[in-house]
Amino acid sequence: MTGAQAAGIPTREADSAAASAVKALQAEGRHAEARERYAELVARHQRRAARIAFHYLRDSAEADEAVQDALVKAYSHLSSFREELPFEIWFTRILINGCLDRIKARTRRERWLVPMPESPHGQRDFAERIAGSGPSPEDHVLGRERRQKLAAALARLPERQRSVFMLSHYEGCTSREVSALTGLNESTVRVHLFRAIRRLRTLLAEDPSSVEAGRVKRRVNS
Amino acid sequence: MSILSGLRRTVRGGHLDDDAFVEIWADATTSGQPAAHAHLAECAQCRGRYSAFVGWLDGIHHDARDEADEAFPPERLAMQQAQVMRRLEASERPARVIAFPRFSRPVTSTQGHAQRWVAGAAAAGLLIGLAAGQFVDIRDAFGGRSRVTPSATQTARVMAQPVTTAVVTPASATTVSDEQIFFGEGEQSARLSSLLPMDDITPRARDERP
Repeated sequence: MTGAQAAGIPTREADSAAASAVKALQAEGRHAEARERYAELVARHQRRAARIAFHYLRDSAEADEAVQDALVKAYSHLSSFREELPFEIWFTRILINGCLDRIKARTRRERWLVPMPESPHGQRDFAERIAGSGPSPEDHVLGRERRQKLAAALARLPERQRSVFMLSHYEGCTSREVSALTGLNESTVRVHLFRAIRRLRTLLAEDPSSVEAGRVKRRVNS
Repeated sequence: MSILSGLRRTVRGGHLDDDAFVEIWADATTSGQPAAHAHLAECAQCRGRYSAFVGWLDGIHHDARDEADEAFPPERLAMQQAQVMRRLEASERPARVIAFPRFSRPVTSTQGHAQRWVAGAAAAGLLIGLAAGQFVDIRDAFGGRSRVTPSATQTARVMAQPVTTAVVTPASATTVSDEQIFFGEGEQSARLSSLLPMDDITPRARDERP
């Protein structure tokens, strides 16, 4: 684990303390205080949860809903939370299960629906970004194209490989953490990670310079 | 990591291949330790290629992270947090019944009990009335339908009267129509008093049950 791992221990202790406090306040019926305390946990895990949900669902609105649902569910089921497991792991498991349920529901839904052409929503965002002081339109278009290729390659991975890759590489989880999150054996996690990268490398090999070019450009900009 | 250990091999004149890089990187990532491999420490060429490989993966990581962060700017996260807090607050409030807009007072008021009893009693009365109507004829109950049965004295009186007193009038001669006779209106107009005892013992069609 990278930065998250370095700050992991104090964060986990703080999480554990906050979760215990919320649980106690809920048991005493002091709901307003419990909610206030829970807001700390929400603020601490919200961004990471949004990233994970977005990588799973590839749709910001749906990811937003999935995160909200997971946070509400975690709060209402906090009495079943055991301190021996880190809150982060417990909550992420709730989130991932919710995301997988949504993917299943979406697959069922899309089986009966004709896919819609791309909405003009993206065009509006694009125009807004051009007007802003962010990256140039060219960078934006190239970056978007690169991400689309990556997303398409990730979508072609088997579900377990994708989960392991995203949790390990995007979120910086160790194999033990991924194992706790996915229920897979640690050695299985490593094998899935290995296969995922090898497959991604093959899938993106058609245009390997795209990711590299983006990385170099980012370095130059920074 | 027995499965991956088989892939720890070198190709191209003793250099590491891509699979070996993946394995080294996966080991480092999942264990949280920096990458360590004897060959990498010795071979500058492999070190360079490994750096490019790691750079490629870092590029993916940054792209994915940037994309997610773009989709969730701080304002959106703040809105999300507020929404979560609202939902939590709403989930702890007891549920309430919202009255239909036409009525100013709530549907679940205590005054509604008496009305409910009245409505129930009315419905029960209606049901009982319908059921009773199937079994009891209301005309019988009020004496409107009485079957005429000739009594023994009336029969005797009729039998005792001489036949000559009976005057048979052709139907065409009388002005009383069949309809008038049927409804009993012709009795007065015909004034055939001699036929009255016979008429008394004759059952009428109107007295018959339909």
